[in-house]
Amino acid sequence: MGLKSYFHLKQVGHNFRQNWPTQLMSLLTVTLSVLIFSFFLLIYLNVVNIGARLGDELRLVVYLDNEVEPALQPLISSKISTYAKADKILFVSRAEAFIRLQKQLEKEKDLLTDLGPEFLPPSIEVYPEKSFRNFTRLKEFSDFLATLPGAQKVQYGQEWLERFGYFTELLRVIVVLSGALLVLATGFMVSCTIRLTVVAKESELEILRLVGASNRYIQAPLFFEGILQGVLGSSLGLTLLYAIFIWTRTHLGGSTFLNQLEYTFLPFSVTAMIIGGTTLLCAWGSLLSIRKHMRI
Amino acid sequence: MLKLFPDDRPLVDIVKATKVYPPDIVAVQNISLAVAKGELLFLTGMSGAGKTTLLKLICAIEQPTKGVIEVGGRDLAKTGSAEIQQLRQEIGVVYQDFKLLPKLNAAQNIAMPMEVAYRDQREINSRVDELLAILKMTHKREIQTGKLSRGEQQRVAIARAAANSPALLLADEPTGNLDQDSANLVMDLFEQLNREGTTLIIASHDESLYRNSDYRRVQLEHGLFTNHSSPRQLPLINQ
Repeated sequence: MGLKSYFHLKQVGHNFRQNWPTQLMSLLTVTLSVLIFSFFLLIYLNVVNIGARLGDELRLVVYLDNEVEPALQPLISSKISTYAKADKILFVSRAEAFIRLQKQLEKEKDLLTDLGPEFLPPSIEVYPEKSFRNFTRLKEFSDFLATLPGAQKVQYGQEWLERFGYFTELLRVIVVLSGALLVLATGFMVSCTIRLTVVAKESELEILRLVGASNRYIQAPLFFEGILQGVLGSSLGLTLLYAIFIWTRTHLGGSTFLNQLEYTFLPFSVTAMIIGGTTLLCAWGSLLSIRKHMRI
Repeated sequence: MLKLFPDDRPLVDIVKATKVYPPDIVAVQNISLAVAKGELLFLTGMSGAGKTTLLKLICAIEQPTKGVIEVGGRDLAKTGSAEIQQLRQEIGVVYQDFKLLPKLNAAQNIAMPMEVAYRDQREINSRVDELLAILKMTHKREIQTGKLSRGEQQRVAIARAAANSPALLLADEPTGNLDQDSANLVMDLFEQLNREGTTLIIASHDESLYRNSDYRRVQLEHGLFTNHSSPRQLPLINQ
């Protein structure tokens, strides 16, 4: 087994030397395809993570005409819970809202010196369970909360959530499209490279057959070649992505917006899957080409 | 040496073989020949007599239009491609056009059949050196065969055919481009291989190769056997 692999790898090296411009083009295509796909995947995963983090802080605020009497609060909580389970329901009085505002204003709290809490409306803050945190269900929940007695208005950042949802959806489509590009470009390029190798080696393959080379002896190096293209191309693509990621973090790290995002690189399991998937794809491309173009 | 071939049958058995190339060129016609294991046979005749076709039929490069070709007891027409490949590892062939890879050096060309048979690398190197020494080509070891003279290329082709110490060696005009000294070296190598058990079929119109030898020779003319002479008479039928 070891001896056979030695001869197959020797042939792979020979093929690379003999046909290096095509091999290089193929390698670059695989690298670029992996880079494009993993770039969008990285953005998508980070956006999803940010969405999840923001989701934890999601709440629906029901602004009321008047404060709810403490005796009525359990009744209203129970009414809300019958519609949708909530992690937490808070009744915020005018006074509590005023204290919050003072805290938020920090140094500018002097602005409130001559004002009392009367100008702020009392509210109910509802923190829905995770299962209720999709846009459609939130809208339904919001419509229900608007029917509560004394409810003036319900707010939960509808517009922002809607845009964020569309953005995530768009990213998902881009990831799927770049994934398709990866599959097509990689499969096609590797298949073409193997085809060109077969053509370039036609006379050599004829002589190999005449001296008794088995199908395995002839095909195995071409198959290994595909695998090598996959491993090298995907590793190179991911290394480039990591370099871009580090560069972005170093040079754009000062930006307030990016600092807030707390973005991370692809997890190890995902990078391993990309390398494994690309390698399988390239192996499949080379196998397809070998079967199609080599009649032994 | 070949273990695939049984001892109790002729190594090569050609029965009423005919080969017609399109449209209607008859290369060999209804010929029969048996070659015993360990024999050295000369196949003689003018250019175009059918010698090359006969060798191609024996190593399964060509299929007969009619008749049966058996090598090691196997009917080549009924043998699968995997078995043919295995069989070819036991058959060394010296082609008239050498079939060398011009960008590979002499050593790499000679090593090819041994690499295909997954021989140990040290064994390969040692055998390559031995053959180059026998054929006085050691100094050309690392030179690309495309840069060698025709005579040198022919010697590399002969060394490659002999590399695996094959059970059967087919040589098509092996001394066609060689001077007398080189031709003698090649004949010495063939005889050494024969002593070690290799069966040889040498197609040649060079009379000096077989003039004073005891080896059986058969003559082809227009695809038919016309004459044979042998101290060790073996079945030879021309029907």
